[in-house]
Amino acid sequence: MRRVRALRWQDLASRGATLVILAVAAFAIAAPFLWIFRGAFSPSDGELTRLPPSLPEAPILDNFGKVFDQVPFGKFVLNSLIVAGAVTLAQLFTCSTAAYAFARLRFRGRDTAFAVVLASMMIPVQVTIVPLFLVMSRLGLTNTLWALILPPIFSAFGIFFLRQHLMSIPRELDEAATIDGAGHGTIYLRILLPLTAPALATLAILCFTYWWNDLLLPLVMINDTQTQTLPAGLVLLAGRFSTGSLTTIAAGITMAVVPVLVVFVALQRYIVQSIAASGMKL
Amino acid sequence: MAFLTPSAVSFVLFALIPTVGVLVLSTFSWNLLGAGRFLGIENFIRLLEDGRLWGVYRSTAFMAGAVLVINLLLGLLLAVLLESRMPRWLRGMFRLSFLFPFVVSSSAVALIWRFLLNKDLGLVNYWLGQLFDIERINWLGSSGWAPIAVVIVSSWKTLGFTILVYVAGLQAIPREYREAAIVDGAGAWARFRHVTLPLMSPTILFLVVINTISAFQLFAEPRVLTQGGPGDSSRTVVQFIYDTAFQGFEMGYASAIAVTLMVLLVVLTGIQFLIARRWTHYA
Repeated sequence: MRRVRALRWQDLASRGATLVILAVAAFAIAAPFLWIFRGAFSPSDGELTRLPPSLPEAPILDNFGKVFDQVPFGKFVLNSLIVAGAVTLAQLFTCSTAAYAFARLRFRGRDTAFAVVLASMMIPVQVTIVPLFLVMSRLGLTNTLWALILPPIFSAFGIFFLRQHLMSIPRELDEAATIDGAGHGTIYLRILLPLTAPALATLAILCFTYWWNDLLLPLVMINDTQTQTLPAGLVLLAGRFSTGSLTTIAAGITMAVVPVLVVFVALQRYIVQSIAASGMKL
Repeated sequence: MAFLTPSAVSFVLFALIPTVGVLVLSTFSWNLLGAGRFLGIENFIRLLEDGRLWGVYRSTAFMAGAVLVINLLLGLLLAVLLESRMPRWLRGMFRLSFLFPFVVSSSAVALIWRFLLNKDLGLVNYWLGQLFDIERINWLGSSGWAPIAVVIVSSWKTLGFTILVYVAGLQAIPREYREAAIVDGAGAWARFRHVTLPLMSPTILFLVVINTISAFQLFAEPRVLTQGGPGDSSRTVVQFIYDTAFQGFEMGYASAIAVTLMVLLVVLTGIQFLIARRWTHYA
């Protein structure tokens, strides 16, 4: 009897310790965001930096307006939406068609071509940024959103990821369709695309998040404030003030983070699955 | 063949030509104006003689290694704890908060931490002072601490991704294996060491590859937090390429640096797959 009770206490203690560790970690993630959100409503930098931190006595909304006085914040958001949206749609198209070819068609040099795709995963945009910039500037596309949309259109990871999914779909399905007189176009559009919808959604989420957040391409390709994306725009906003007006920067960050938080909570199930799936397919 | 055309065209334009381009450019000297001058391997000789490249690689390797170790160990701990018995909603809340920084842009994350790590006004120094009574740390302005600041911020941002991948790996382990071990009388540590860990090795390998490659691509965090300084103490290779090309306008020299990064990434991936064959256990 006493032994059972001792075990239960041990069990409770270890569960308690588990929860405490997890709670501390979650607090360490949440606290910086909460602190910056609070700063966005602070009337002065003095209050924002007062230690220990406390809730603003008289929260104000002026800081948000000041962001728009300093930078075209709405344009930043719009540009980011266009870039991440266009890259995602384009990748879904190029990757799913290529994945179909690699998974279902027989042609000469297919395996070599697929090996080249795999090898190109090792060479990220950070390595080729100089020639990419030169190509874009030769085409007269720097300072346009095209310079941000075109370079990421080819995605080796996307092709590989979708091909793995297509390979797991039984070929009998397409063979049955072929007997019914369907061509490759019909099989791809009507049979395989719907069946790979979860994988397409995963790729879309990973792709959108990555290119929504990218800072390197916008800094390299875009010089004109009106054409800038949100991540680079925030850096621009922060650069407008060397000291002072920290509250305005906090308001800018808050406006960048809160919509992401809302979308993230709404789509969390899919996002969690996407990331888990990206790890399981190697 | 029509199916291959869109990706083939984009491959040639945005992968093949730039890759060949960076190799060709690395043998030239060109400042964007006028014609370039062919140098042969002179850029690479200059790189070898230039102390900066080694400094930058040392900083990058330190930051990449530290982020990797922190993410692998802390991520495993938190993933195992997250899988222990608790109410569903609580697990969901923890998972959400861990993952959130991963979807926020690096520049927003780095700007937030630039406030927090400020030497005089930042919360981090304030709490460290309150808790441990230590001197204010010059996180962003001293060459000893700046790379550590980048490591903290970058781990903070990517830890949730690592945790999630771990959790997926843990969930893929058949329940029977652990039950069999319990029946055989294995304690919690023995179960973890001899059942969970070997079965997790493909997941761990994936995380090593992904974390290493993305750490060598680090750009936004050091650029926003410290500008790579002081000196080159927190400068990553990617930022070195960026600075050389787009602030120094030495396109050829920047390409030569990029070639070294390309070789490194290829070698790293190769080594990791060779090692993988030897020590991953597939269930």
